[in-house]
Amino acid sequence: MTMRTRAAWVALMLALGFPSLASAVAVGGSLYVKAKNTRVMESPSPTANAVVVLQPGEQVKWEGADAKNKQWHKVKTAAGKKGFVFQSNLSTTAPNMELVVEDKGKRQVNPAGFVASGAAVKALSPGAVEYGNKKGGNHKQAVAQLQSLEKKAKDVSTADIAKHAKEAGLFPVVGAEATAKSGASKGKSKGGT
Amino acid sequence: MRGHWKTVALAGLGLMASSCKGVTLAQFADKAGTVVNSSAAATKERASCDKLNVEPTVTEEYAIGSAMAVHWVQGGGGLMAPTDGAKGTGVHDVHEYINVVGKNLGAQSARPTLEWTFGVLNDDKNFNAVSTPGAYVFVTRKLLSELDNESQLAGVLAHEIAHVVLKHSIKQYNAAKVSLCKTAVTMEAGIPGSGKLIASTDSGGNLDLDGDSALLGSLTEKVIEFAESGNDKEQEYAADELAARMMISAGYDPNEYRTLLRKTTDGSSLGSRHPKKADREKRLVAFLDGLKSTQGEFAELSLEGLHNPPLKPELVAAVKSTSRGGVAKDGK
Repeated sequence: MTMRTRAAWVALMLALGFPSLASAVAVGGSLYVKAKNTRVMESPSPTANAVVVLQPGEQVKWEGADAKNKQWHKVKTAAGKKGFVFQSNLSTTAPNMELVVEDKGKRQVNPAGFVASGAAVKALSPGAVEYGNKKGGNHKQAVAQLQSLEKKAKDVSTADIAKHAKEAGLFPVVGAEATAKSGASKGKSKGGT
Repeated sequence: MRGHWKTVALAGLGLMASSCKGVTLAQFADKAGTVVNSSAAATKERASCDKLNVEPTVTEEYAIGSAMAVHWVQGGGGLMAPTDGAKGTGVHDVHEYINVVGKNLGAQSARPTLEWTFGVLNDDKNFNAVSTPGAYVFVTRKLLSELDNESQLAGVLAHEIAHVVLKHSIKQYNAAKVSLCKTAVTMEAGIPGSGKLIASTDSGGNLDLDGDSALLGSLTEKVIEFAESGNDKEQEYAADELAARMMISAGYDPNEYRTLLRKTTDGSSLGSRHPKKADREKRLVAFLDGLKSTQGEFAELSLEGLHNPPLKPELVAAVKSTSRGGVAKDGK
């Protein structure tokens, strides 16, 4: 691939919003939060107190892996809070935030505000409902089933996900809550892991 | 829309009544009884159709994804419904489990803010999974009935999530927009909704699909037609690797993904563009072997502490049940 071709390819990928390639990050560098309800813990353990809960796209300063629990990483948040984050919650590349609706599909709109923004609100689109119902027959029934499915899917909360991960022995990535419990430093976090 | 685990062609799901593959523009025009416009103005208009190749808006992605979901659900025999048959259009409770497993993966994908929705198609003949823009993922009962554990389920769902994250269907959607536009300009054909499609070349290329269900229908059927032509090898390899990454991120053993690949078959109906399962497994092994951290640099993945949880017994019992709820096929 020539330089010109490569440059054109990269420009096209960026224009279409495709995920960028990973890059190396050394201690002191910035990492992105990639998972919903990412908990910054007081100590490198899923049952520790949550200092703060971050959302996809927020950046933290990487201060290295914990000496004993190497899958836990020391970080410093943009607000200056320090703690430990599980490996899977962090990425060297920014997640795609294109679905923040107030930006009409553009990225990087206040990641922390995402949870309360209604950005994730989705339903079978009005056009698709009309399209399916007009076709009639089992297309119409498919529309009704999809609407029922979406309700069931929406009822699955991050708390349900965190509970399942714990029961199945999976990693404590998605936290149950979007915010750290007040007074977390005095008691155990109900982070669901 | 992608079909990746299929052991038969997507046509096996009965999604398209016909295909335009192999039909030239002139042949199409002749059959349709329309006029081919070869004027200089038409040539210029055809070139302007390329302006439609832009990233869709959120509502545009949801609209095309929703309409494609209607197609897949209809063609897949409906969604798995409660077995007592007395709950109208309700969906079976196994959907809750599928959504817990799927949404866990989606929440730590590169598109964590999508509202991921996972469903089980009633199809008990085809080993298949598909996805749409706007984050609908479907697996067939046949596929679920052949899984050995939750890691394999996660692998299937992660593969489909990967196609959505990598926007493979969006590329097909954009190609469909451009293709329909050029056909409409060239043949002055009465493609439903094409007037607004052509007009949008002068207004940024994005479409209000919710405001024109005719255009939405035309585009949906075109995208499905493209999907039927088979999957690009590199797209499949990329989806396999990203799926393995997501499995490791969540704590699943990616070796179960290899077992999953072996359950698929290399049917000739998949076309030459679709990679052979042996090649996919070879690529996957190479990727996993190459996972090692560099001293002093942050490593996103490690193979420590991975698990292989069993499937929920309720899911196994439900998918192997002979009772079929959902939509009866009526050929529409």
